[in-house]
Amino acid sequence: MNNWRFKEIVVLSALSVVFAVVYLAFLPLGKLLVGFFGPIGYDLIFGIWFIVSIIAAYIIRKPGAAFLSETIAAMVEVLIGNAVGPMLIISGMIQGIGAEAVFAATRYRNYSTWVLMLAGVGSAVTSFIYGYFMGGFAALGTGYVIAMFTARVISGALIAGLLGKVISDGLAKTGVLSSYALGKEVRKGKVA
Amino acid sequence: MIMFLHQLNPTMKAVTVVILVVLLALVFDPVTPSILLFSTVLLMLVGAKVNWKRYFLYFLPFLLFSFGMFWTTLIFGKQPNSPDEVITIWTFEFPRESFIVALALALRVLSVAALSLLFIFTTNIVHFILSLIQQLKLSPRIAYGVLAGYRFLPMMKDELKIIREAYRIRGVHQATTIRGKWSQYKRYAIPLLASAIRKAERTATAMESKGFTGERNRTFLRQFTITKKDWLFLVIMLALYAAAVYTSSSLGFLKLYDGEL
Repeated sequence: MNNWRFKEIVVLSALSVVFAVVYLAFLPLGKLLVGFFGPIGYDLIFGIWFIVSIIAAYIIRKPGAAFLSETIAAMVEVLIGNAVGPMLIISGMIQGIGAEAVFAATRYRNYSTWVLMLAGVGSAVTSFIYGYFMGGFAALGTGYVIAMFTARVISGALIAGLLGKVISDGLAKTGVLSSYALGKEVRKGKVA
Repeated sequence: MIMFLHQLNPTMKAVTVVILVVLLALVFDPVTPSILLFSTVLLMLVGAKVNWKRYFLYFLPFLLFSFGMFWTTLIFGKQPNSPDEVITIWTFEFPRESFIVALALALRVLSVAALSLLFIFTTNIVHFILSLIQQLKLSPRIAYGVLAGYRFLPMMKDELKIIREAYRIRGVHQATTIRGKWSQYKRYAIPLLASAIRKAERTATAMESKGFTGERNRTFLRQFTITKKDWLFLVIMLALYAAAVYTSSSLGFLKLYDGEL
């Protein structure tokens, strides 16, 4: 954490706060889907809950960005009060670890679209393993569990990875990111 | 004794709740979680000052989720080992085994919810973060960064209003259709994030220019310590869990997680 500028930490937490609100806004939608389809309802839109890791890591490009942003977002959700409680911080950390592992595997050098999508898948995998034990998926039929897993992986790749990239690129175009890694890259691209 | 729960150390309270939730995940019977559910609510009744209307409102989504969990486990659950034993509700027949597992999972959701609400309803946010620095050695750089970011939360609403008005001045009106609303959110997202980033940057610069270094050897206005009360709370909760498991096993319901995948 020592090579982080304080500015980057505050920007990271501001992003986390914004997305904590977005995360909470999607909870009722998830609950509604669960009411109709059963536990798989959450998996269809699960990717939205990984999106801040992708955005923060893509913008700041430093070790820990994916993990930290997801953890802070979960913490803020708990702090706002309208959530699942302190356990949510643990699930946030576990989701963050999944994305972080993918970025770490590229040694924090590659931020192409497919890496971002893989990072979304990483979060999907770790969060599913955690959900399997904590959520009691063991009691469900095997076919249903496989369907849940597939839905979550696709959702992680598309909603977290792809949508996360689109939002970050949109932000970079406004120029507010000029002193962060993504903004610098965009500027260089224009010059070249 | 009164307001006992409000006076606990926030970090220890969080740790206790997490331990209990993990322990709850290890049992698969309906009796243990229901005993814990009732005793947690009872504890709130005795040891906390709660706005019960708000409490119920927060509980409602969990009820819905728990119901969804119940019927899907009942229908999509694994084939029971003894399908001949059935239980009849209204005119429907369900295998007794599936029914009990479904009930156990649904009650587990509710008792986890009660534990979480115990934490949320009795803990001050800023105290929790300060206690994380002091007890769990969280880096002050991160903690104060988060607190600064958290301060933007109320401003977001104003920011949204400004963006909306800026659009209206240019003749873009509120959307009425669902598709229109969707593209409206897309238009709002980038400006909202951009302004949050700008504010964060300004705040960080201001904090640093006033001498914030984020070093660990700082002093605190509010000191948090772990006292006997906190250990007592942990012991009470563990004792409740043990009592619940004991009751369940003497009633012949107890079913532990047996490592099946």
